[in-house]
Amino acid sequence: MWERTLQDLIRGLRASKQDEAKFIATAIEEIRQEIKSKDMELKAAAVLKLTYLDMLGYDMSWASFYIVEVMSSAKVHLKTVGYLAAAQSFTQDTDVLMLTTNLLKKDFSSRPEEVAISLNGFSQFVTPDLARDLSPDLVKMLSHSRPHIRKRAVVLLFRVFQKFPEVIPHAMSRIRERLEDPDPGVVAATINVLCELARYNPSDYLSLAPLLFHLLTTSNNNWMLIKIIKLFGTLTPHEPRLVKKLMPRISEIISTTPAISLLYECVRTCIIGGMLQGTAGNALARTCVSKLATFLQDEDQNLKYISLLAMVNIVPTHPHLVAEYQDMILASVDDQDISIRMRALDLVSAMTNSNNLQAIVQQLLSHLVRTEASALPSAAQTLSQTASGTTQTPRLTSPSQNPAYRLILSQRILTICSQNTYENIVDFEWYLSVLVDLAYVASVDIGSEIRDQLVDVTARVQGVQRFTVSLMVKLLCDDTFLMNADQEGSCSEVLWAAAFICGEYCGELADPQKLLSYLLQPRVLDLPPDVIAVYLQATTKVFGVWASELAERWDSDDLPRVKDAVESTIERLADFVSNPDIEVQERAANALQLFTFIRADLNSYRPPVERGFGYEEVGSSSSNATEPDFPKSLFLIHPLSSTYELKTVAPNAQASVPIPEGLDLEAWIVPPPKESVGHARGESDDDGTIVETRMVKKGKKGKGKETGGAKARSKKKKDGDIGPERLAPAEEELTEAERAEQARLKAERLERQKDDPFYLSNDRHSRKPDQHDVDSIPVVHLDDLPPLSQAAENPRVPMLRSNDVQFSRQTFVIDRVGEMPSGAVSSVASSSSSPVPSVGLPAALINRGPSPSVGNGAATTTPLSGFPAYEVDDEVSGTATPPPIKVTRAKKKTKAVSGASNGKKRIAASSTMSAS
Amino acid sequence: MIHAVLIFNTSGKIFSLISARPASLCNFLDAPELEGFLVHKPEAGLGLGGPAGVEGEKLRVVYRNYATLYFVFVVDGAESELGILDLIQVFVESLDRAFENVCELDLVFHFDEVHHILSEIIQGGLVLDTNVEDIEIAVQNAAKARKESFATANPLALGAGGVGGSRGTGGLQTPLGWLTGKLTGVNTR
Repeated sequence: MWERTLQDLIRGLRASKQDEAKFIATAIEEIRQEIKSKDMELKAAAVLKLTYLDMLGYDMSWASFYIVEVMSSAKVHLKTVGYLAAAQSFTQDTDVLMLTTNLLKKDFSSRPEEVAISLNGFSQFVTPDLARDLSPDLVKMLSHSRPHIRKRAVVLLFRVFQKFPEVIPHAMSRIRERLEDPDPGVVAATINVLCELARYNPSDYLSLAPLLFHLLTTSNNNWMLIKIIKLFGTLTPHEPRLVKKLMPRISEIISTTPAISLLYECVRTCIIGGMLQGTAGNALARTCVSKLATFLQDEDQNLKYISLLAMVNIVPTHPHLVAEYQDMILASVDDQDISIRMRALDLVSAMTNSNNLQAIVQQLLSHLVRTEASALPSAAQTLSQTASGTTQTPRLTSPSQNPAYRLILSQRILTICSQNTYENIVDFEWYLSVLVDLAYVASVDIGSEIRDQLVDVTARVQGVQRFTVSLMVKLLCDDTFLMNADQEGSCSEVLWAAAFICGEYCGELADPQKLLSYLLQPRVLDLPPDVIAVYLQATTKVFGVWASELAERWDSDDLPRVKDAVESTIERLADFVSNPDIEVQERAANALQLFTFIRADLNSYRPPVERGFGYEEVGSSSSNATEPDFPKSLFLIHPLSSTYELKTVAPNAQASVPIPEGLDLEAWIVPPPKESVGHARGESDDDGTIVETRMVKKGKKGKGKETGGAKARSKKKKDGDIGPERLAPAEEELTEAERAEQARLKAERLERQKDDPFYLSNDRHSRKPDQHDVDSIPVVHLDDLPPLSQAAENPRVPMLRSNDVQFSRQTFVIDRVGEMPSGAVSSVASSSSSPVPSVGLPAALINRGPSPSVGNGAATTTPLSGFPAYEVDDEVSGTATPPPIKVTRAKKKTKAVSGASNGKKRIAASSTMSAS
Repeated sequence: MIHAVLIFNTSGKIFSLISARPASLCNFLDAPELEGFLVHKPEAGLGLGGPAGVEGEKLRVVYRNYATLYFVFVVDGAESELGILDLIQVFVESLDRAFENVCELDLVFHFDEVHHILSEIIQGGLVLDTNVEDIEIAVQNAAKARKESFATANPLALGAGGVGGSRGTGGLQTPLGWLTGKLTGVNTR
């Protein structure tokens, strides 16, 4: 009698804010008692309380049986509670649902109030089983005497169709009848259902078009008209003839309706329904876009928003119409409302072409610059901050300060620039400057993407390499990134790219010696290990190119300079040798040894006049009299890194390497020992390249016989002469059963390795055949760097591009597809009509290859016998002006080059393989 | 389809994305923070599969602010954005008619009643009715049925009826019931 009601519970909860957990624990304890009560009222009250607590996040799944009890009560006010609780807590897996079938059946044929309650409740927990069992009752209910019930039944049927589509054909004629229901509410509900259904299988509902069109012309219920218009929007792509019939009516609504929501839906349907083709369509398109443009100028932010939303859809077909409003759209990117900005961003990305790209990117980039003005809150914001009593509420400031938004904006800049392998970029020097600026201003964690882009662009566009190197030298000399490396969003990953590019294209360096000191400055030690490793590698390369340049125009005055440089390098390297990171340590040690060797050579070097004693011991005394007049060790390093040119590798280059004759990749290199089951054993991969030892778990069931047999045999063997028996190849003595066992094990192993990234499976040709986004694949795939997480507190913006900076208007040649191995075997049939690679293989490599005779760098017209995969890329025309560029094309494979640090090595390795 | 209907007040911490937006901004929320959450994943085991061509369709958040309350609807592409704004208005009007000048506390203490009203507008994610008059009548009929049922089960009860003592909507309150409600603060605004 004195149990707590729901009201008491809520009141108590609001009163005990400090000790909520304790209060709820007692309340749930009480509920657990009450819910078992024989008194239905009490039970229902407990269920209702529990439903409230469920809303607050407390579990009520344990009570599902009691809920069913309350649902089955004959009293409406209790039944309602039960169905409410069920709607809120039952899921597809609730086991008591199977108990409800008969209950629902009974309620469906009960008094109208109960039918309504049960229909509403059921709509929340429809399962395939319930849908199948109850659909006949529901279809029958479509002709219930009360419109209220008919309405509920027809709406519920959508849920049933979702779970049990087989019933659709039987029910469709009855649903169709509802379109002519005397009650307008039922018709509207039916339209809602059809609108949803048509999204799944539009063509099934084309036959309803005349009926719908009749409603479209006669009804004046805006909600229903919107839905009908939407429904036609999904139907017209499947029945072009509808367009002709609809166009007059829709045009009429567009020009007459006062309801903006209806007007907007009409415009939207015209766009997505493909009604804008042909001459009549063009006129309509113009009307639509001008309507949307008026929305865009409206002060109602909602209209602005939906207008941007609809314009995204019209851009692909009528870009010129939208382009007329480009300024207005760009202004929307500056809107203070983040929703509108996001939509405008979408639209702007869809609008980019090579003409407006620079202006758009410039504008987006300017958002990322933190100016004092934008950081100052407006008067209203200050007021609300004062009201809320907080001094600093960052989210009330401009959306530009929102890190999530900044990240999206930065990513968007990169995507629109790099889409379709830099299709829209005319001036790559500009793009590289944008990348560097972005790294300075982004203040979000986008460094690794910028890094990848820098490396990718530099490798693909040869003409821009000198510029990149000078840009990267500036980065390396600027200590902004070094200082902020440990802060979130500092983008210090670009230093990776900077060091890598300076090292890789060190031939383009203006002053290599100066760079050496920057590469080894003590602060580098604060960087992440993978960056330090690249710094060390770059140091060696830069020194190598400097030394060899020096040697070519050798002057005896240079000797002290070289000695100094080597001396200081060795001194600096000593710090790195003790780095805790193994990779850094190893590279530093390698470099140190090389430099020590050079030092020794330099010390023993005597100027040419004194030549005759002391120098011969370095070697080459066998070579006749032409002793070089410089220390030979100056040429020690340069060839190590410059023998092969780094180039983009076609994504499927590795897959196209022809298998040499006589190499059977299926053959065991070392036949597996037969008693291997259950033992650790060496497994040879199918490629024969990877041999790995791993534990083979023995399956527990169903293998008893086979393994038993194998064991017996192995035991027998053990009894005999173990040593030689084990070592000898066991291939020939396999019995049929063993072969079967082996095949099974192999199948198992393949299955296991299917998703293992460390295995190369030989069905890779068939995998991902439909992937064509060459541009998304970085030339040098970089290791996942641990994201540097910090935010620059006082980022400097030293070199933000402004519009007045003029870049050279040279045209750039982009290597879009990358290099393919010689004699590539393409698994995709590709014509070899004009096999002219734009970038030739390096001479050193070519000379070793048997067939192709391509000059270094220059394109020759000699057809290459072994290059079936080459063909002229026909999309090139859009990217460059004369002279015509030939770009090699090939199919792709994602893991062409993996591993950041050894990217170059890999490339060299695969080239070597292909050339031999 | 309507995927969710949320109501919360200005102090709702979880919903800071919406409650932080000044009134002058638009009623559609596109927050970068929600990007991952709103991508529509078709239910597994769904008989019909996903709607054609809307894989990865983004759900939209449409909201409206009334005094201290925010009404948030999460909808997919089958709904008209402006239409949903109207629907929120319909919902609030229906609440107002049922509760007579609705306020936040009404919704807190009569969450079941709010559910019943919502169930006359939306059922299973689809819109049932948009006509405020029809909705009001349906709500009253349902409430009346519950009350009569309660009255027959508890002939001696003084309260206005319903298991949770839900407030009468049909003007059938007894003076005493009304008084107790006043005293216990149910009707206090």
